[in-house]
Amino acid sequence: MSEGNENLVLEAKGLSKSFRLGDGSIRVLADADIRLEEASSLSIQGSSGCGKTTLLNLLARLEKADEGKVSWDGYEMEASSSPSSRESVMRADFLGVVYQAYYLIPELNVLENILMAARLSAGANRESMDRARSLLSRMGVSDKERQIPTKLSGGERQRVAIARALINNPRVLLADEPTGNLDERTGGQVMDLLLATCNEEKTGLILVTHNPSFAEAADSRVFLKEGKLSSRWEPEAEETKANDEDN
Amino acid sequence: MVPWPLYLAWKQLFPSGKKVSFFSLLSIVGVALGVNVMIVVIAFMQGFQQKFRKDIINAQGHARVVPLKPYADWSEIPARLRHAENVEGVTPYLQAQLLLQSGDYHAIPFCMGLQPEDGDEVLPVDDFLEEGMLRLQAHDAEDVTPLPTMEMLEDDVVFLSSQTANRLGVRPAAVVQVYEGNASLPESTGKRSVKVARLDPYVESGEWELLFEDQESCLVREAISGDEFTWETGEGPLDMGFGYPVFELSGGGKPFVAGDRFLFQVFKANKIEIFSPSMIEQAKADELIPPREVRVGGIFEVPWQGFQMEALIGTMRLMADMRAQESACDGFYLKFSGPVARDEAKLQAKCRELELVLEEDWAVVPWFVENAWFFELLKFEEYLMVLIMIPIGLVAAFAIAIALMTTVLRKIREIGLLVAMGGSRFSVGMVFCLQGFVIGSIGAILGCGLAILFIRYREVIMTFIVERIAGSDGQAGVAQFYDFHSLDVPFPWESSESLSTFLSFALFSVLVSTVAGLLPAWRATRLNPADALRSE
Ligand SMILES: Nc1ncnc2c1ncn2[C@@H]1O[C@H](COP(=O)(O)OP(=O)(O)O)[C@@H](O)[C@H]1O
Ligand SMILES: [Mg+2]
Repeated sequence: MSEGNENLVLEAKGLSKSFRLGDGSIRVLADADIRLEEASSLSIQGSSGCGKTTLLNLLARLEKADEGKVSWDGYEMEASSSPSSRESVMRADFLGVVYQAYYLIPELNVLENILMAARLSAGANRESMDRARSLLSRMGVSDKERQIPTKLSGGERQRVAIARALINNPRVLLADEPTGNLDERTGGQVMDLLLATCNEEKTGLILVTHNPSFAEAADSRVFLKEGKLSSRWEPEAEETKANDEDN
Repeated sequence: MVPWPLYLAWKQLFPSGKKVSFFSLLSIVGVALGVNVMIVVIAFMQGFQQKFRKDIINAQGHARVVPLKPYADWSEIPARLRHAENVEGVTPYLQAQLLLQSGDYHAIPFCMGLQPEDGDEVLPVDDFLEEGMLRLQAHDAEDVTPLPTMEMLEDDVVFLSSQTANRLGVRPAAVVQVYEGNASLPESTGKRSVKVARLDPYVESGEWELLFEDQESCLVREAISGDEFTWETGEGPLDMGFGYPVFELSGGGKPFVAGDRFLFQVFKANKIEIFSPSMIEQAKADELIPPREVRVGGIFEVPWQGFQMEALIGTMRLMADMRAQESACDGFYLKFSGPVARDEAKLQAKCRELELVLEEDWAVVPWFVENAWFFELLKFEEYLMVLIMIPIGLVAAFAIAIALMTTVLRKIREIGLLVAMGGSRFSVGMVFCLQGFVIGSIGAILGCGLAILFIRYREVIMTFIVERIAGSDGQAGVAQFYDFHSLDVPFPWESSESLSTFLSFALFSVLVSTVAGLLPAWRATRLNPADALRSE
């Protein structure tokens, strides 16, 4: 680690990833760097299919990169190696994840879904139960505690998913287009909650979104294009196109 | 604390907000039925073995002593055997090959000679006679023949198995009480009555009328001979000696009144003629020997005859006469008490011990050695059953494996999510393996419960099934060979054999179901979480 990076909670250097496609291959990430400071938020924008999800997967060590390094709280990992079981254990406490399609477990009710994440870490106990309840009320869905996920609206589901991602007090929350399935108004509410809660909880946030106004709300803002991250402003045309797709 | 894979496995089978998932219900019921069937079949097989064991010991005692060398005198052998510890009874026997004839009918039964004075301490002949008792049927009369007993056995009297009696068309003496006309009502109404206390094999046919003149004295009249005399009931039973029925008072305490009238019809016993091989020898020497004439003293049924349905029991002396061998003996039946009677290993050791007591001139053969062929057959049948049922169990396992496999495919994204939330791939795989385990365990418990219910209510169930298959007539036939009613099928807490049957099948189902979960588990483990999360 280089000096001056003490407050970096997540860092990736020189990430490259290409997928085999028939005879050839497509290069999704090329020498991408990313840095997230403790308790800060970062938004990633980019056109559809440019590799945002792939980037998050590499940061979460769910997928092997071709090259590069990822470090969680200063613990550096070779991104091209298979995730070790130690990383699995770390992941439970270090990361929270929120996806566009919520991925709530249909056999568990809302409270059990949230506690499931706790079970995967330290285990469910009184404390985690209390925390789950307070997160639910923070998310404004405390009355849905015993509800089955399939009976919730999209907005409610995503609120529950955010509560689940936060139950273990993760250092970083990775959110992959969390409002992608929601209408503008609900999406706005959910996004406000997400940003505000991460801020309160001092949880770092990496937010992938198509919506420039949501992206703007983050502490910093980067763009993924041609496999590289940059803070440069994107051409107007591409931005509009992305917005259209989002809605 | 419950490990999360077990928690999630449980929840997938029994989701929140729903009682049970359809898949788990079906799988559990399937496993339970399979376990139930396997246990019940084997428990019944063991019940049959137990029953045959009991029947064989009843019919043959615990062991048989057979001579290995020609012997001079066997008379002190029983005393020597009886002297040994745990020997409860010794009964010498003599067998013979005899041809029976009655009118135009012949039979060559298995003939066994016993000593009446030995009673039925080793071979429960009285029970066999009770089992074989055939009552005459009539609408206004009741067969009141007293049960024949071993005591009635004499040199001129034989007992026949019901098959032999049927073949020859013979029966023992019988007496019916007639209720027609103004005869008094049967004893069962609780009134004072007269009953036949003894009917020996020598009685003549006759019609007896007992007419009370007052409460003490009774006019007795026999219609065929015209005999007539008065019975003072205060003097005790009316015993006119051999060849006559013995009457005695029975029933309630109300005194007789003048005009109380009892009618009995006596049918004499059939006679049969017996020929023996020794007679043929004598006939060759131009000696003309008349056949031996004996009376049928009773009809018996032995639960176990080693497939010798046609049998005759007579005295040892009768057999010796027919074989023309003075005081011969083919061996002894032995009955033991205490641990020797219960434990086969101890019995075997005891038999060896007795052989030494008898200085190795006699072999002492335990029942299970003598009938080994039969028990090997039963064991073979049992193993065959297990062999047939194991593939059935495996088929059930395949069904579970396939169902869990579809669950894995349905839940690909959740599997990815579990990894993303910090679950190891191994633990995620365990979720599916444990589902198999939970299904197997619950199924095993339910299956054992069902099996206990089935054993508890086997009579009701079997009667119902057998009636459906064989009809109510056929039921008697099925019951004769597969006597479910008297079948001793122990509960697991009653016998260690039953307990081990229950446990091994329960374990088998848990094991097989868990193994069935392995393939889906492996599939889940192999999933790339990133791909899993991406899949639609
Ligand atoms: N497992 C894979 N195999 C082949 N190509 C893949 C795979 N995963 C993603 N890709 C490709 O990589 C590119 C980036 O995908 P993704 O990261 O999902 O984009 P985004 O999230 O920005 O829309 C896409 O072109 C996609 O088709
Ligand atoms: Mg994406």
